[in-house]
Amino acid sequence: MTDSPARPRPAAPKRRRSLRLGPLTLLWRTRPLLVALCVFAVLVVAFVRALLSFDDYPMGSADVVRTLVGGGDSGETFVLFTLRMPRALTAALVGAALGLAGAIMQSLTRNPLASPDTLGVTWGASVGAIAVIILGGSTGQVSGLVSRLGVPVGALVGGVLVSMVVFGLAWSSGLESTRLLLVGVAASLFCSNLVYWAMSWTQVQEASRAQTWLTGSMHAADWDRVGPAALALAVLLPLSLAAAHALRALTLGDDSARGLGVRVERARLLLLLIATLLACVAVSAAGPITFVALAAPQIALRLCKLAQPPLVTSALLGSALTLAADQIAAGLFTVSLPVGVFTAVLGAPYLMYLIVRRHREHHL
Amino acid sequence: MTETDHPARLLAESVTLGYGDVPVSQDLDFAVADRAVTAIIGPNGCGKSTLLRALGRLLRPNAGQVTLDGRRITAIPPRQVARTMAVLPQSPQAPPGLTVADLVARGRHPYQSWYRQWSSTDAEHVDGVLELTGLLEQAERPLERLSGGQRQRAWIAMALAQQTDLLLLDEPTTFLDLTHQIEVLDLVRALNRDHERTVVMVLHDLNLAARYAHRLVAMRDGAVVSSGAPDEVLTPDSLARVFGLECTVIPDPVSGTPLVVPIGVADRSPSR
Repeated sequence: MTDSPARPRPAAPKRRRSLRLGPLTLLWRTRPLLVALCVFAVLVVAFVRALLSFDDYPMGSADVVRTLVGGGDSGETFVLFTLRMPRALTAALVGAALGLAGAIMQSLTRNPLASPDTLGVTWGASVGAIAVIILGGSTGQVSGLVSRLGVPVGALVGGVLVSMVVFGLAWSSGLESTRLLLVGVAASLFCSNLVYWAMSWTQVQEASRAQTWLTGSMHAADWDRVGPAALALAVLLPLSLAAAHALRALTLGDDSARGLGVRVERARLLLLLIATLLACVAVSAAGPITFVALAAPQIALRLCKLAQPPLVTSALLGSALTLAADQIAAGLFTVSLPVGVFTAVLGAPYLMYLIVRRHREHHL
Repeated sequence: MTETDHPARLLAESVTLGYGDVPVSQDLDFAVADRAVTAIIGPNGCGKSTLLRALGRLLRPNAGQVTLDGRRITAIPPRQVARTMAVLPQSPQAPPGLTVADLVARGRHPYQSWYRQWSSTDAEHVDGVLELTGLLEQAERPLERLSGGQRQRAWIAMALAQQTDLLLLDEPTTFLDLTHQIEVLDLVRALNRDHERTVVMVLHDLNLAARYAHRLVAMRDGAVVSSGAPDEVLTPDSLARVFGLECTVIPDPVSGTPLVVPIGVADRSPSR
């Protein structure tokens, strides 16, 4: 065996540097970082656009800036701070929560079809919220308190319960199983039918209030909804970033993760809980908005060329998507559509595309 | 052989192993020879992988205990175990698109924490391991675009990035063609010889096991039937007991280790 002297030496590897953010050190990745910055820029643009439009009130960018710093007249102040700002913030927060929830669930199950929508969490939370809206309305409770506390709590209880049932039933066959998705779809159907059944026997007034909420709407956005959502996200986002470390090991399968020193059951339960809570936060703020949690992580993954959805970018992308969808839904037709209807229309073909693709990968 | 020079660090003490209520092994004792390569052999379903999984803390014994450096393994924090012992499970799965470098980087998990998720030490070790396993040129390629042997080396590289003295490999050569089996086993041998790593692996190929392991452990029905140097374990007698197969054993013309030549029903001449 002769070793030719001209044989090129393998190129020196690119030393993988780290990215420091205060106490946090992460692996430096150029492309995902650039993508995150670009998505953030898009998000800012979408947010600014949201502050400029949504209604017919004549307010140019100069007026908006003047009102922001406190120089607007009472009409402008009302439009900006009571109508547009809460709506834009709700869309941004809800989108971020959904994108993050989807990214965690997809990493955890290693399945691009997994999301709070397909696993029943969204509809479970809806049942809880609808129950509060209908019962709270018909028993004549103080509606302000009910909508401020009751709806989020109802959504939380419903979402966590359904999440427990779905993951509990599928646990034995592993989270990557088709069984998980089947159970999730079944739970979704069950819960959505429960909602429609409940609405069919309630009074017209409650039913129509529930209906507006159900289609996923930003019309009703106000500061009472923005506050809790912002608070929840401020807690859950850092928690997700901390748990991302274990999540990376978990995507190699339970045995490998255990070999790497991860307490698999504990880490998985924590991540599931975070994702479920995020979905519940989104539902309680804006009703069930489908598609965002399903699509944002996959788009982020493809843009970044990574093997698992990047959490922060998925959240930013979810935000931008929801803001954009809300604007398009509000402005596309003469009748302003609830954003949930619009995302559902986008989501159905996308879901079908994913299913067909997955089917091909497994059978060809 | 080096096996008697050092006391065992990893021990299974009268363990009962199984999945649910179905016992696979009962009252099993096993000591891992330190700084040696041990191969566990035996027919399908004999409990080889189950034993390896218990040693690697992937399966909790129903009774008895596994100890690492004198401590009950379940009492040691998981991250500390992962810095002492690396386990490569049978046919591990990676998400599609994962690159070799990313996979190997995940081997640094036990040295990281939720706030310090990457360091220059991590980078150095990943580079070192990639070089050791000959995967520098493949570092940025996704796993699914590698050959079977390269992919298996990448997984071993991930285990090596854990910087452990002990390495447990569950059927590292399964589904590989002969060339790639040799490629992987040569790497195992180098790790043991040049880096004094203790290796325990489950292998199907008896002749390769005899060639690459210092010590063989033959199992049947969840029990260890015989153990020792390859020429003590691979005898026609014990092979008949372990596999229920008639064989003749000749010296391997290359390495001098035992070479098992099975005799099927059709091969038996009437004179025998």
